[in-house]
Amino acid sequence: MLLVDIILPGLVLGGMYALIALGLTLQYGVARIMNLSYGESLVAAAFGAFSLYSGLGLGPLAALLLAVPVAMLLNWLLYRFLLERLMRRGKDRGAQEIDSILVTFGALFVIQGAMLVAFGGQYYSYSYLSIPLTIMGSTLAVNRLVALLFAAVVGGAVYLALTRTRIGTAVRAIAVDPNAARLVGIDVAALSGFAFAFGGGLVAVGGVLVSMFLTFNAAMGVIFTMKALVVVIMGGVGNVLGALVAGLLLGVVETAVARLVDPGLTLAATYALFLGVLLIKPTGLFGRAAS
Amino acid sequence: MTGPLRALLWCAALALAAAVVTYPRYANGYYLALGISVLYFTILATAWAMFSGPTRYISLATVAFFGLGAYTAAVLGETMPWPVVLLAAAGVGVLTAAITGLSTLRLSGIYFVIFSFGLAELIRQLVIWYEVNIHKSVGRYLFSAVTQDILYWQLLGLTAIVFLVGWLLGRSRYGLALRAIGADETAASHSGIDATRIKLGVFILSATFMAMTGAVMAPRWTYIDPAIAFNPTISFQVVIMALLGGAGSLFGPVLGVVPLVLLFEVLTATLPNHFSIVLGIIFVLIVMVLPNGVIGLFGAGRWRVPAGHPATASARKMDATLLAVDGVSKSFSGLRAVEDVSFTVAPGEIIGIIGPNGSGKTTLLNTLSGALRPSSGTIRFSGTVLNGLRAHQIARLGLARTFQLVRVMPDLTVAENVAAARLFSTSNGSDATGRELLDLVGLGTMHEAPAGELTYIDQKRLELARALALQPRLVLLDEWLAGLNPSELETGIALIAKLRERGLTIIMVEHVMDAIRALCGHCIVMNAGSVIARGTPDDVLADPKVVAAYLGGDDA
Repeated sequence: MLLVDIILPGLVLGGMYALIALGLTLQYGVARIMNLSYGESLVAAAFGAFSLYSGLGLGPLAALLLAVPVAMLLNWLLYRFLLERLMRRGKDRGAQEIDSILVTFGALFVIQGAMLVAFGGQYYSYSYLSIPLTIMGSTLAVNRLVALLFAAVVGGAVYLALTRTRIGTAVRAIAVDPNAARLVGIDVAALSGFAFAFGGGLVAVGGVLVSMFLTFNAAMGVIFTMKALVVVIMGGVGNVLGALVAGLLLGVVETAVARLVDPGLTLAATYALFLGVLLIKPTGLFGRAAS
Repeated sequence: MTGPLRALLWCAALALAAAVVTYPRYANGYYLALGISVLYFTILATAWAMFSGPTRYISLATVAFFGLGAYTAAVLGETMPWPVVLLAAAGVGVLTAAITGLSTLRLSGIYFVIFSFGLAELIRQLVIWYEVNIHKSVGRYLFSAVTQDILYWQLLGLTAIVFLVGWLLGRSRYGLALRAIGADETAASHSGIDATRIKLGVFILSATFMAMTGAVMAPRWTYIDPAIAFNPTISFQVVIMALLGGAGSLFGPVLGVVPLVLLFEVLTATLPNHFSIVLGIIFVLIVMVLPNGVIGLFGAGRWRVPAGHPATASARKMDATLLAVDGVSKSFSGLRAVEDVSFTVAPGEIIGIIGPNGSGKTTLLNTLSGALRPSSGTIRFSGTVLNGLRAHQIARLGLARTFQLVRVMPDLTVAENVAAARLFSTSNGSDATGRELLDLVGLGTMHEAPAGELTYIDQKRLELARALALQPRLVLLDEWLAGLNPSELETGIALIAKLRERGLTIIMVEHVMDAIRALCGHCIVMNAGSVIARGTPDDVLADPKVVAAYLGGDDA
């Protein structure tokens, strides 16, 4: 069953990508910060979960309770003390985006360097719920399914929070037009900081979940950043449903390339897909035309 | 500058040049290696700033070109003569830059940054895949007779070339055009500048230098694998160095290269494990504290514009119809913003286009100036069909415009704004100099002021001067008189009247009816995308249909 072998693991992988991208789309769509250190934050959370599991015997799901608040706090501090200044300084949106990209590019090296000092360059993994399970003739580990389930719950909750709550509506208003949002009495600076921190919390969730079934090392953050970027750009910035569809698509494409062409080309396929979408429809598969 | 001082400076420069050229003769291995690092980062940072400085398209793909150059040298180095290898590396750089540039340079800033970030990774992955699967080994050995001394001199030669090319570029009209594009791409293309081609050309030029640097550097490593040749830290260091020194000027980047190469050297020796942490912190500090670079602290680093180049005056063709608009429509998916509009404009005429807000006036002007492509219908300008031509081509034919929401190039001076519009003008219209034009619109004393610091009214005046600098035969004024106070309005109307006396043809979109009455012989009234009335101002303003369009009909 080659098809099931591709579709099923592809969807599981894609679900994770969608969750990972959710945080980035909030950070970029609302706080206007294209965070190039995003993948490093994810790997840092994975190392956090690894340390808790191997050091204290805490399961990754318990690690979430610790990792998420810490990540939110760190991201909020980063926004409050560095990025917000750039937002105020930039003359226009273009200048703000370039400055914030450069600063988070610097942050990428700081986080990566810190992880290299702490953990070195080797690969890490731990065994948690790695029980094989056969579904429709295709074998999957239980930890992947648990991760997917969690991703679905978290993603669904974020979607509902954005569309059904007052604060979610305000956040979406900022994503559309920060200046107009200010005019109707929304505290743009505070909510942008909140959205950035919340995106940081989501990336921590992604990192902890990924650590359950992937081997990781200190230098692979860029890969996650690229995948999150692919999904965000493909789905359309700030579009939660778009991120879901794009994430699933990416997961299936990668699995298909790995199975049918060459596992060594999966990353190249990611980038090619990404560059292709950027060229043909930079506003995303579901994005509106650029104004 | 006095004679002796100048002589002293020349002597100092010559002594410095001699010291730099003979450096390998007295520097030992360690210091020679340091000199090599300074040189190759100088080339990379200067080449990076050549494109990214004026356009502000931040490229994180330096290492993609550098690595391709190095790999070309590794693959061909042992079988081909060295000059051929260098040319091949340059060729690979040109080809890659042309392909990526053609497809990406129309992306807006942020997408370009991300694209360049992805490009470096994509190329690295492809090279790894090729080496593993086709070549069957990841690394390559390159044994060559190139000593450190020769490497140094090759880099020195390349450095000299990159500075020479940068200097020539800055002095040429392409230098100013590039800065105009960086300041406001739309305004630049409506001033006759072919933004896409110029960006592409400079991008390729910059990538060529990067690829050649990679090729020259390749023998230094002896062993080359993708992790060395495509090390993303290189892209990153180049950006930091150029930004620290100041990317807006030719010699800015080198001011960042020297201290940072030394600092990195000290860091790798003393804190090898914390290198990237310190690197990241330095980078964040530079972006936060020194947005314009070291050279920005001195307020220097802006190339002055060469004086306006002379225009060729020739006999002007007098056509019976200068502009013929025939059945032009423009729709945005379902919305028909302009529907089946036809009119003609005779030379020397002032035509007014009026109508309530949202009636399609600006959209109509946008189809004329090439900002939008009409969905159907034809536009002829003195015999040439404009449909499908791009904004800069239309501007060069002698059709200039101002914008409803004023667009000057804020970082350029007033004089440079006007000069930018003359760079590629081929029209045969009137050939007043930039100075005369600025006097004409009343900005005669503000030549050196940055355009972004002008008041709103002065920016509008500057926009008009810039439009006139194209030596146009037809000028489109989009609510140029809006927002003026009564005395400014009077001056403005007198100015437009003066332009008509000079033989200029004008189409003005305007809400100021006094101006329409005073200036226009003929008027077109639009409502909901269609022309609902035409004739003399007094006639159309008395037309019940026009009154209804402005004030609402009986049922409103």
